[in-house]
Amino acid sequence: MLSSAKHNKINNHSAFSISSSSSSLSTSSSLGHNKSQVTMEEVWKEINLGSLHYHRQLNIGHEPMLKNQNPNNSIFQDFLNMPLNQPPPPPPPPSSSTIVTALYGSLPLPPPATVLSLNSGVGFEFLDTTENLLASNPRSFEESAKFGCLGKKRGQDSDDTRGDRRYKRMIKNRESAARSRARKQAYTNELELEIAHLQTENARLKIQQEQLKIAEATQNQVKKTLQRSSTAPF
Amino acid sequence: MENMGTRVIEPLIMGRVVGDVLDFFTPTTKMNVSYNKKQVSNGHELFPSSVSSKPRVEIHGGDLRSFFTLVMIDPDVPGPSDPFLKEHLHWIVTNIPGTTDATFGKEVVSYELPRPSIGIHRFVFVLFRQKQRRVIFPNIPSRDHFNTRKFAVEYDLGLPVAAVFFNAQRETAARKR
Repeated sequence: MLSSAKHNKINNHSAFSISSSSSSLSTSSSLGHNKSQVTMEEVWKEINLGSLHYHRQLNIGHEPMLKNQNPNNSIFQDFLNMPLNQPPPPPPPPSSSTIVTALYGSLPLPPPATVLSLNSGVGFEFLDTTENLLASNPRSFEESAKFGCLGKKRGQDSDDTRGDRRYKRMIKNRESAARSRARKQAYTNELELEIAHLQTENARLKIQQEQLKIAEATQNQVKKTLQRSSTAPF
Repeated sequence: MENMGTRVIEPLIMGRVVGDVLDFFTPTTKMNVSYNKKQVSNGHELFPSSVSSKPRVEIHGGDLRSFFTLVMIDPDVPGPSDPFLKEHLHWIVTNIPGTTDATFGKEVVSYELPRPSIGIHRFVFVLFRQKQRRVIFPNIPSRDHFNTRKFAVEYDLGLPVAAVFFNAQRETAARKR
């Protein structure tokens, strides 16, 4: 119980701290999966909240290998250091990521420096990796298109239609909402009219009733006098 | 009839019956539409099952020498968000003498029960005062794509003298109210 709580804390911490690094994120979540189900779910929540959808899919591919390689507590050290070892924008292939982790263990390097020193052109590196991403996981390419430079031509079309559809749906929804409001307003107006109508009718009927009462009272009086006169003979 | 100001058609304006189907008009005749003694009021919801047989339509106005035409349409076919078949014609009765009801008129298009499939539909009853008694045989190849405005122009009916609408949706639809 205690240890699981500890794992929980660690994983949460890592999920927060490494949100910029994609590959390490996926590693962290798969680790969580190994350790405890609850932690896993929490990590997922964090990932989903960050709308980093495609890491999940990446992750599935890496999972078995990581399971085999790092089944123990020892990796938690590496794991915590990982975010600092990884260059944030280019997610390196899974094998290299684990190697790096193993090599640099507890020697954190600032990520931007790594990027600059290892690659002369950051942009190209980025493009390459994202294309790898595309190749390995076609479903993720729409998300990766958000990062710019790559796959514009291929991404454009489906992205546009998707945006278009969303826009249309939004417009439709607004129209529907407006109709709903109008319906409600019409209904309310009608009820108000009915109330006004009933009120005037009620007032009219009340007056009529009063008049009838008075008429009845005077008639009764007349009747009474008549009755008395008719019963007079005795 | 005394308190028939412009307020009376407010619900028709809010419900966009005036606009979608009719032009602005001043109601001058009282019309009562009721299904099984339940009076139809603007914007109220009725269930398709409760409107399956034709309603009683009373005209409290004019006299026996004046004649009225009643039209019932659905401007939300097939669905209110894209009513590309509008308007759908449900009923036409002509030559209804004033102070009577629709059964005294001539039914030229039989009553078709409302069967809204997509969304919430409006069903509108429109009453016109005829200039004279006349027999019309409207040329209606299909109940879809009917146009009340055009119909009024074609038969020289002028502006409506009364209108009322109710809402209806599928019997099984999820209702929030």
